[in-house]
Amino acid sequence: MTPLTIIVLYLCLLLGVAVLSNVFLKKTAGDFFLASRSIGPFMLFMSLFGTTMTAFSLTGSSGFTFKNGIVTYGLMGSWSALVHPLIFFLVGAKVWALGKRHGYLTQLSYLRDRYQSSFLTLLLFPLLVGFIMLYVLMGAIGAGSALQGIAGLEYKWGVALVSSVVLVYVFFGGMRGTAWANTMQTLVFLIMGAVAFVVIVSDLGGPQEATRQVIEHANAEVAKRAVRTDFNKGVFASYCLIPISVGMFPHLFQHWLTAKKASNFKLSVAAFPFCILILWAPCVLIGMWATASLPLEVPGNEVLPRMVSAHAGNVLSGLIGAGILAAMMSSMDSQFLCLGSMFTNDFYLHFIAKDRPSERSVVWMGRMFVISIVVATYFIALYCPKKSVFGLGVWCFTGFTSLFPILVGGLYWKRSNKYGAIASVVVVACMWLYYIDRALEPGGFLLLGVLPVVLMLAASTLAFVVASLVTPPPDEAHIAKFFAPGPG
Amino acid sequence: MKLFTIALIALLFMVHQDFWWWDDSTVVLGFLPVGLASQMVITLGAGIGWWLATEYCWPKQLDDSPIDESKKESER
Repeated sequence: MTPLTIIVLYLCLLLGVAVLSNVFLKKTAGDFFLASRSIGPFMLFMSLFGTTMTAFSLTGSSGFTFKNGIVTYGLMGSWSALVHPLIFFLVGAKVWALGKRHGYLTQLSYLRDRYQSSFLTLLLFPLLVGFIMLYVLMGAIGAGSALQGIAGLEYKWGVALVSSVVLVYVFFGGMRGTAWANTMQTLVFLIMGAVAFVVIVSDLGGPQEATRQVIEHANAEVAKRAVRTDFNKGVFASYCLIPISVGMFPHLFQHWLTAKKASNFKLSVAAFPFCILILWAPCVLIGMWATASLPLEVPGNEVLPRMVSAHAGNVLSGLIGAGILAAMMSSMDSQFLCLGSMFTNDFYLHFIAKDRPSERSVVWMGRMFVISIVVATYFIALYCPKKSVFGLGVWCFTGFTSLFPILVGGLYWKRSNKYGAIASVVVVACMWLYYIDRALEPGGFLLLGVLPVVLMLAASTLAFVVASLVTPPPDEAHIAKFFAPGPG
Repeated sequence: MKLFTIALIALLFMVHQDFWWWDDSTVVLGFLPVGLASQMVITLGAGIGWWLATEYCWPKQLDDSPIDESKKESER
């Protein structure tokens, strides 16, 4: 059985899950987009973890380690283990309570209501779509590279196959199907990640032997870089801001709203660091060991697929390949669903179709929008197959992190108002677009010796605070809605 | 216990900067570079710290949040 056959069988299994979940789907927007707020702790955790761990965590981390050494784990793995639960704890559970109380379907619906501004929605909508497109692009490039490296499928067909399968299961099952598929996919990529690690390390002669080969690499500089943290200290510290981006992911916000109760977040908060360790540490070690077994000019995105196909047999390569794709698809599905819900609820229904159309036509409008975004992303992915998944991820997360003040300010600062939020969004949009070319060049760039996210977050926070303070405060009765006993 | 939990998490944020093994090539357990091993220990510490946070610092009133019946989901 070839790796491609196994991967295709896995994709068929996913479609089966979507068809099954469709049986339980109630034909309402609330069920399609939020699974009627019925998700329990285990499925919530699997959805949050699966959605957060992407091509960035697998092909990105191993590729970045291959080029820069074990510092990769400290830059993203352990920072995420500290910061992600903090966000779920301080923001996620509170957002859930407000969402339940006021019936929000999306992040934009909350922000529009909190800041009493449709203009803010109009500004944020294209910006968030742009950020998510970059995120989808990261998954598409990762999936195309993985299918090419493991199954020999041409890059363009790999991207098309994975995007189509995710589209179909999201359209069939909505949020319920996505949550079910995410649970299955998260289990698959955690288990297959462990299998990949054991298989590769055994074939390399055991962990000690694999590390010895790295240390004794013919190029002493490469060996030193591979096993030391040794990195720009300012940049290392500033990476702590990158995982804050999860707080502003619209697709994660939507997953928060699906929880049945706030205490369902507890498992996600406590278990997240352990699962990060299980997923990131093997990927980083594989990237480090690849230093001794792959030519140094191999593109970062191809490191993990090449290691798998070089060290595992056909069947195992297929299974591990399915696991790698599972990690990428479990993020793309939530992003597709979120794009649809943002378009229908926050743009189409709010600005265009003021006479309420039927629930069915609302869902279909969302689907058409998602298809157009996916097609656009597909063509972009064809033109930049060699773009670093890690670099794309960091710039995408930089944008989300820079917008975080408007969310956290809305939850915790009564004085914050729409002028502050609008000023902050304008600052982020200008800086993000101005620097995008430099950010996506190989190696990225620094501003004043630190990651651009530091200055962008500072500028966005300053604009938010100053504009809020110099303009009239929001109406007290309105603010009481968000700070009344209960969620606050 | 609440104070201990907050202190533990704050400490983990600080030690993350790796003041001890920054340019150390030592390998522990025969295969794990010490810089990576220390970050893995911080991750384990984060798991323990956040578990304690859910036990001792959880805002229990969130589940009692009243529902605004005048707002249906589809209206938002």
